[in-house]
Amino acid sequence: MRSSKYSIFTYASMIGVPALLMLILIAMISGYEMYINLFAYVLVIALLVFSTTGLIDVFLHKKYDGSMKKAHVESEIKSNTEPMLKKGSEVDIIVKRFNGSSHNFDKVTYKFFANKFTTVLDALLGIKSHQDSTLAVRCNCRMGICGSCGMVINGRPRLACETNIMEIADSEGGRIEISPMMGHLLLKDTVTEFTDFFERHKSVKPSLYRKNAKEKYSTTKEYQQSSEELDKFLPYSYCIMCGLCLDACPVVNSNPNFIGPQALSQSFRYYRDSRDQKGKRRLFEVDSNEGVWGCEFSGSCSKACPKGVDPATAIQLMKGELISRIAEKDDYAEKK
Amino acid sequence: MELLDYDIIVLGSGIAGLTSAIHASRESGGKKSIALVSKLHVMRSHSVAAEGGISGVLYPDTDNDSEKLHAYDTIKGSDYLADQDAVEILVKGAPEEIKFFDHIGVPWNRREGGKISQRAFGGMSIPRTAFAADKTGFFMMRALYDELLTYDNVEVFNERFATKLVVEKNRADGVIAFNIENGNFEAFRAGETIIATGGASRMYGFTTNSYSNTGDGTAMAYRAGIALKDMEFVQFHPTALIPSGILITEAARGEGGYLKNSNGARFMIDYAKSKMELAPRDIVSRAIISEINAGRGFTDEDSGLEYVHLDLRHLGSSKIDEKLPMIKEMTIKMLRLDPSTDEIPVRPAAHFTMGGIHTNIDGAALNQSEKPIIGLWAVGECACVSIHGANRLGSNSLSQCSVWGRRVGTIAGRWHKDSATQKSSFMEIAENEEKSILEVIDSEGDVNPYEIRDSMHRIMDKYMYVYRNTNGMNVARNELAKLKTKLKDIYVQDRGRLYNTNLREVLEIMNLLDLAQVTVECAIRRRESRGAHVVLEYPKRDDKHWLKHTLAYMSGNKVKVAYIPVKIRGWKPEERRY
Repeated sequence: MRSSKYSIFTYASMIGVPALLMLILIAMISGYEMYINLFAYVLVIALLVFSTTGLIDVFLHKKYDGSMKKAHVESEIKSNTEPMLKKGSEVDIIVKRFNGSSHNFDKVTYKFFANKFTTVLDALLGIKSHQDSTLAVRCNCRMGICGSCGMVINGRPRLACETNIMEIADSEGGRIEISPMMGHLLLKDTVTEFTDFFERHKSVKPSLYRKNAKEKYSTTKEYQQSSEELDKFLPYSYCIMCGLCLDACPVVNSNPNFIGPQALSQSFRYYRDSRDQKGKRRLFEVDSNEGVWGCEFSGSCSKACPKGVDPATAIQLMKGELISRIAEKDDYAEKK
Repeated sequence: MELLDYDIIVLGSGIAGLTSAIHASRESGGKKSIALVSKLHVMRSHSVAAEGGISGVLYPDTDNDSEKLHAYDTIKGSDYLADQDAVEILVKGAPEEIKFFDHIGVPWNRREGGKISQRAFGGMSIPRTAFAADKTGFFMMRALYDELLTYDNVEVFNERFATKLVVEKNRADGVIAFNIENGNFEAFRAGETIIATGGASRMYGFTTNSYSNTGDGTAMAYRAGIALKDMEFVQFHPTALIPSGILITEAARGEGGYLKNSNGARFMIDYAKSKMELAPRDIVSRAIISEINAGRGFTDEDSGLEYVHLDLRHLGSSKIDEKLPMIKEMTIKMLRLDPSTDEIPVRPAAHFTMGGIHTNIDGAALNQSEKPIIGLWAVGECACVSIHGANRLGSNSLSQCSVWGRRVGTIAGRWHKDSATQKSSFMEIAENEEKSILEVIDSEGDVNPYEIRDSMHRIMDKYMYVYRNTNGMNVARNELAKLKTKLKDIYVQDRGRLYNTNLREVLEIMNLLDLAQVTVECAIRRRESRGAHVVLEYPKRDDKHWLKHTLAYMSGNKVKVAYIPVKIRGWKPEERRY
């Protein structure tokens, strides 16, 4: 399917342009001046044609990618199920274990029999139950909603409970390598410390603010909200506090003072909620180098998020709002 | 060892625990010191896995609904074992809680005009389940956690595993726990203790529950001599995913999903003609197992599990995306099945512990003579008030957790009791407890504790499932007793102090074994079929002899059983038809 992505002209240009250049070179060396001009004309025309078709290709390519994305996911589902349906197989699970007393790492390889359903978490717990009970694992819901089991699997930060072994063993070279999230303080094996992460979250005051606290705790009436208003903050409310985005963020890893993608996205979540009455003060609270301006927009946080929260976009949107409110901000600072 | 003194200890951090802590703090005007102690990070409790929604009559006038009707549905659903005074409190309090959760940020799905949307649920006459897509519990937990951060007098203790509830002379004085992170023991002394540690469905192998649902608080209370009520009633959720047991919300059927057998027929027509797929859970679970037993199920080759199909294809992908996004995410990630094009393989799984710590309607835990233990409350799934009786209706649990969370939190916040135990004797209790736990670490047997767990799972899955029979229950009783003796010969491989989840899991297995035994003992004695407890030899409900609650106490190494009457108000027991 991929071979039909570009038109024939593009492929022709890949061969044609260097070939014509070679011919011109040969003509120059050999002294055939009339041929040099001829080849040069042909080259210019060829380049014109190729660049036009190339542009068309790029356009087609984009369209192609968009429409194929869904079909691709579906075919992946189908093609992955069939060969695995019948049999499982033994997989090497390599765990980079951290020893909390000696502060050393120890790479241990376990053999584990996985079938088509087995997740990395299943394997770790299976190993713990029947091979090596000293292996430390933090987990709870095993359905991707409690946020306990973030770790680095084959170099990528992911949730162990949502990562199917056979699937990544197939696509990532037959082995499973697990290490803790190195961006957090390490406790034992794959388990990391979360105090710092929770403090970052708390520091943006992530709770629904109402001017009248009494009314907030009264229970006589709901605050009405339209579906459109709901959609404005809903995508940012899926955060399960697993810590993967913070682990993936290159800025936090080099400058711990940057508050990080998780906390900022949660600040934005409440800022966008029509029920929240803190208004733009929320923006001004993160208007600093430790806040939104620390973000260098690498986008790794959004890529790492297992729940589709997009902290990178949230932060850029906050930057945008802040720029358009510079005057108000001075006002706010004065009052403060 | 460190002695930590607080006014109130809240043990457990699900919706019940967090709500209790917030309301206790508020009621005390921020003056009482409150310790929130959890074996997990507090925002990761099993409540996050609640999917479908929370029940409550929000708009009686326009929806033609009433609290009376909600009460009737709940009582009928409970097979008349619910205490009707408690149900009245539930239905009255539930609408307020839904609004409260709106005020702290839960993204409720909305109707035209901005009102809160409600969906149909099993056994409810009218759609009255408020929901935030199919992640309702998760959103409620996040809102509660974020709200809790604004309370300075609540101190959070993450990853502390409590091993002992200190009850002396009918007064509760705190808990002894160890810090999982570093293995250090901590003595939490307090005048008031609220237990909110959730259910115990992990005594089953095939369950919808998180790994944490090991009934720790219930088992601790049981060992402290407190009564457990109605432990024979375990809810099996009809639709759990094969082979993991991951929950597929009842909302999938509430939104119009079908259950189909291997003939492709909607078999519920033979079991609950009027309610079909939206009959209460006990009835739907029995229907599924009956179909499977009659050879009209499917078999999964890898796990050997038999199942039926949940068909959502006719709902269309846009409805699934809006109302059931998590179900879609889950089936695609776990099984690589898309509910808009594929049928989902499901079977009943242990889901909810209807029984629990015996409390009065104020959540106060009761001793053997039915009197409150001073300074001790139980809230949420670990408690049995009782609202759910023999069978809980879907979406009544989130209302229960929030209504009683507020009720108990408010009472505890207002109330005052000093810890009566002197520092020295409290420390002595704590040091003895530490010693006994260290002995567990030093066990030098040759039995792998996880094999004991696996055996317990097999026993419970086989003999204590949807259909029970006397012979099977007797086998379960004997086998569990054998496992209990085997516990003496276990070893704990991890002897370190840092993040020793091996030790924690061994202690959890011990808790579960205690509760599994109680479950079997209560079940063997109840010679009738009521709600989720169905015995083949006694297929009918027997109100004449069994319209009563079971109480179980620990007496030496034995389970002692007693009975108390059900509180009937206006709703007389009648035949339960759907």
